[in-house]
Amino acid sequence: MEASKVDMFILANGKFFESHHVGMIRDRLISTDDSKWVTVQTLQFKDPTFILIVSLLAGTLGVDRFLIGDTGLGIGKLLTCGGLGIWAIIDWFMIMGATREKNLDKLRLVIS
Amino acid sequence: MPRSQKVLYAILLTGCLAGYLWVWWSAESPNSESTVCLIKNVTGLPCPSCGSTRAVLSLAHGDLVGALQWNPFGLIIAAVLLVAPWWMGYDLLTNRKTLPVFVAKVEHFVQKKWIAAPAIVLVLANWIWNFSKGL
Repeated sequence: MEASKVDMFILANGKFFESHHVGMIRDRLISTDDSKWVTVQTLQFKDPTFILIVSLLAGTLGVDRFLIGDTGLGIGKLLTCGGLGIWAIIDWFMIMGATREKNLDKLRLVIS
Repeated sequence: MPRSQKVLYAILLTGCLAGYLWVWWSAESPNSESTVCLIKNVTGLPCPSCGSTRAVLSLAHGDLVGALQWNPFGLIIAAVLLVAPWWMGYDLLTNRKTLPVFVAKVEHFVQKKWIAAPAIVLVLANWIWNFSKGL
C-alpha cells in the first residue's frame, strides 16, 4: 500500500493500538496488497477508553471482558464477583492494554 | 506451549487456589459478615453472584436444594473447582491441550446469539432473585 494511505490510517487509528506496535503495523500495512485497503479501512476497533469506563462501572460483572471478546474470562468474572473483587480492580489497569491487543489481533486477521 | 495457553492455565490455577482458600476461610468463620464483593460494599445491594460461596458450602454438606436456593451459580463454580485442577494435571502429564480446546469451544458456543440472549436474561433473573432473597 502507499505510505500516505498507511500514515492516514495510523493517524486515525493509532490510539487503538499499543504505541510499540504502531511501527510494526505501519511496516506490515505498507507491505500488504492494495486490495486489502477497503477491508482494513472498514474494520471497527474497540476504544480502550470506552472499555475502561465500562470496566470501572461494570467490571465486577465481567462486562468489559465480554465486550472485547474474552467471553471465557467474562464468565469467570461474572461468576466470581469480579474474582472476589481483586480481579476487577486489577482489570482497571489491564483492560486498556488487553483491548489494544484484541484490536491488533483483529487487524492481523486481515493483513496476515 | 503457546502464550495464550499458559495464561489460561495460570488464571485457572490462581482462580482455583483462591477459590479453595476462600471457601475454606468461609467454612472456618461461618458467622463472619465480611464480603469482598465490590458492588455489595459500595451499594449495599447484592451482585448476581452473591451467595455463591454459601451455595458451594451447602453443596459441600450435600445439600443440593439449599445450594440452588442460595445461588445456582454456586453449582457452576463448584464444578469448575472440582474438575479444573484434575483436567490441568491430565493435560500437563499427557502433554495435550484438551482444556484450551474445550474452553475455546465453550466461548464459541456462548457467543451465539440464541445462547447469549437467554443467558443474559437468566443472569438478570438470578440477580433479581438475589434482591428478593435479601442476600
